[in-house]
Amino acid sequence: MKEHDIERLHARNNQVHLSFSNIMLVFVLFFLFIPLIVVVTYSFNETKEMNFTGFTLQWYKKLFTDSSALWAAFTNSLLVAMLSSITATILGSMAAIGIKWYQFKARKAIISVSYLPMVLPEVIVGVSMLIFFSSLNINLGLFTIYIAHTTFNLPFVFLLVSARLDEFDYSTIEAARDLGATETQSLFKVVIPSILPGILSGLLMSVTMSLEDFVITFFVTGAGSDTLPLYVYSQIRYGVSPVINALSMIVILGTMALAWVCKSFLKTIAANS
Amino acid sequence: MKWRPSELRVRKLGMIYSYPMGVWLLVFFVIPLAIIFLYSFLTRDIYGTVKYPFTLSAYQAMFSKSYGVVLFRTIWITVLSTVLCLLLSLPAGYAMARSKNQTFLLFLVMVPFWTNSIIRIFAWITLLSSEGILSHMLQGLGLLDQGMDLMYNNGAVVLVLVYMYIPYSILPLFTTIDKFDFSLLDAARDLGATKFQAIVKVLLPNIKSGISTALIFTAIPIFGAYTVPQLVGGKESTMLGNIIVEQVQKARNLPLASAFSVVLCLASTFGVLWMLKDAGSSKTKSSLSQQAKVEANVKLSHQGDSNERA
Amino acid sequence: MNTFPVAASHITRAFGDFKALDDVSVTINAGEFFSLLGPSGCGKTTLLRIIAGFDYPDSGSLTFDGKDILDLPPEKRHVNTIFQTYALFPHLSVYDNIAFALKLKKRSKEEIDEKVWRFVRMVQLEDHVFKKPSQLSGGQKQRVAIARALINEPNVLLLDEPLSALDAKLRQNLLVELDKIHDQVGITFIYVTHDQSEALSVSDHIAVMNKGKVLQIGTPYEIYEAPATEFVAKFIGETNYYPATVVSFESYKDEYLVKALVPELGGEVLVTDFEPQEPGKEVAYTVRPEKVHIATELHTKADRLINSYSGVVEEPVYSGFQSKYFVKLDNGSTVKVLKQHENYMDDGPDIEWKDHVYVSWSAEDGFLIKEMGQ
Repeated sequence: MKEHDIERLHARNNQVHLSFSNIMLVFVLFFLFIPLIVVVTYSFNETKEMNFTGFTLQWYKKLFTDSSALWAAFTNSLLVAMLSSITATILGSMAAIGIKWYQFKARKAIISVSYLPMVLPEVIVGVSMLIFFSSLNINLGLFTIYIAHTTFNLPFVFLLVSARLDEFDYSTIEAARDLGATETQSLFKVVIPSILPGILSGLLMSVTMSLEDFVITFFVTGAGSDTLPLYVYSQIRYGVSPVINALSMIVILGTMALAWVCKSFLKTIAANS
Repeated sequence: MKWRPSELRVRKLGMIYSYPMGVWLLVFFVIPLAIIFLYSFLTRDIYGTVKYPFTLSAYQAMFSKSYGVVLFRTIWITVLSTVLCLLLSLPAGYAMARSKNQTFLLFLVMVPFWTNSIIRIFAWITLLSSEGILSHMLQGLGLLDQGMDLMYNNGAVVLVLVYMYIPYSILPLFTTIDKFDFSLLDAARDLGATKFQAIVKVLLPNIKSGISTALIFTAIPIFGAYTVPQLVGGKESTMLGNIIVEQVQKARNLPLASAFSVVLCLASTFGVLWMLKDAGSSKTKSSLSQQAKVEANVKLSHQGDSNERA
Repeated sequence: MNTFPVAASHITRAFGDFKALDDVSVTINAGEFFSLLGPSGCGKTTLLRIIAGFDYPDSGSLTFDGKDILDLPPEKRHVNTIFQTYALFPHLSVYDNIAFALKLKKRSKEEIDEKVWRFVRMVQLEDHVFKKPSQLSGGQKQRVAIARALINEPNVLLLDEPLSALDAKLRQNLLVELDKIHDQVGITFIYVTHDQSEALSVSDHIAVMNKGKVLQIGTPYEIYEAPATEFVAKFIGETNYYPATVVSFESYKDEYLVKALVPELGGEVLVTDFEPQEPGKEVAYTVRPEKVHIATELHTKADRLINSYSGVVEEPVYSGFQSKYFVKLDNGSTVKVLKQHENYMDDGPDIEWKDHVYVSWSAEDGFLIKEMGQ
């Protein structure tokens, strides 16, 4: 009973104060959400006008039944996201393991180069790839988008897996060898399961970044290989479109679901390790 | 075969693991960069491709007055937006770090952050356009003329840039402030500092690394911004990124686009190095890798971390 | 269980300029509890890693049961290691951690299950079998590590400071348990530690190491009562240590009685030694604090074999079961004295700060150190 009282006292002490920082936080969150809320609201608006004239689902109907170009773009996005994230996850994770525990030629060079795509503006990555592909006469299209996405995903996978490896106790590998495991066995039975949370978060992040990328894709895309962001861009350049409102609603819901799934997903993994 | 323990770390295996990524980045990242570096010294031909003699003409072309204006605008927009991001993120990140509901607050920051960037810009267009809700309200109050846009000006560009990149500064600041030992603030107060003094003299010096990470990861993408000025900016809002795209896609002047890219590239690199150096001598060596790692982590693994704590 | 003697001879291992092991030779008998004792950086862990197969010496040889095994990889050595950091597999439950080696050997499910439970019972972890390592306390993790290594039926178990991450009380309990397990399984234990009391209490033999060299190998009794070098004398237990010069010697019982000049004690002392000592030789004279008697009155029994000095108590340190006194002799030197409190209220008169006291010890309780500087 006593403890209970103390807990209540603590709870009272921990009540949110109206401090400057809390007000700023609320303001920032409001700032972050206001555009999203507006878009979602208008997706249910009867007319294209900005006055809310009446509730309708017609834009959603149009989105799902009468927007084949949009869905083609979505399919492209999904395809590129899957392939590029899987490639990046495999190559990036392997590289992280190699860099962490082995000494070899060009090790330092690989480390330095792997950070660069993250700190350079996207425009540069896009322009340089475009010029590269066209100087080799490679046709722009889904393939070049796949290459570009894999390239900007690699560093993130590499870093997330490296961070996970930093927490990994090397003597665990020695313990596995000590208990009779070969090099390969210790890799598959000990190392990979232990760093799986890092690998999975790398994969998830790659998928997210690939689905979201506009600038780099914008450069390396070719005719008929629009991804979803490119399609949306082409639609909104000349003004507001209610179907895009409806799409935004779906994207926001999807993002929230992803964030939520990630949370419980990562939580489970974290608890297991 | 004789076995040596050093084989636990043999060269060959390290190469097998790491070279695929190394080669990938070499071919699709380093070589393309080298090519634009090379192109920046060439001249364009009538077919929109490049031809030799090495010249500096592309660089000379950059020094025209119209480009100078763009460069100057890019710089001031970057500085202003970055400073605004930081000023908003510092108290917000602090409040998040001190909150008991960190996971939920992170979720709230993540959702807009993960939402497709084009969709988010579109949301702002909805808000700011002449028929948009904000214009409507202001027109109702008589603060704005009928049919006037809030968009297509530099103010809109700064506003949306801040919106787009503020998560990049909140997240690293939150991470560093979260690791800060708040009892130090009590200690400072105990020793006679005011709340403001405690924050300036104790908190800020201890979260330097977070501040510099936030600076780098907001300033660089803003400096190279293309989409935001393109979509919400006006004729007088062109930034460096827009020029590059224009030169590549419309004018087909690859050498000039390359020269601008090289400048942007160097500016970003020097910016990173300068800020790292600025970020306190103790952390100078931890360098790019650490900063980049933070960046990679804030994007996703955050949620996992805060859950572990919860 | 099968076990075998382990012999390392003339092993040298350098990391760059740093010589981790410098011509080290030790022989470890089959079935004994052998400790490698020394401060951090003395090379003890390097030696253990070489025995385990995680490191390779620059020169020297290593034999198990007379057979050279330096070229065998760790998984083929029939030795297992308890790691300082436990090195449990974080993604596996306690059960799967312990079953790891058997699963690699593709044993039948029934056999694995039977054995895992047997070892789980041995280390008393029945209630935690399906937990993950992150849910265990330090002591429990250590037990898992022990079971995981022993289930593999190693011929030699290597323990790398297995208790260093635990708190003092737990350390004592686990140490006793380790000793029991050693008696139970009967294989050789090679135990690396920097804690002399751990080593003294469980080992059959101890090798004291410093700066890459083995300074002395002996039973705990020999190491404590007859340290061979200055380092051993100072590292194991506490001691009063004074430079001295041999003056003369004579036969005494089946030993020798050596007269040595100890300037810090203000003159000559008598000390017994196993060997005759050459007059003029520079040595060190040392006596353990618990061998020194302290009293407020002078011993009446005059005996030339008793060294006796008067002084003032500078600093009494009471610690319950005993007290430690720093006694400043009349000539300015300090003698450390340990006094056990055996009987409540009947422990003689209290000795307090600034009291004038007499300290004394027998010639047989002092000893000479002939190897100084290491």
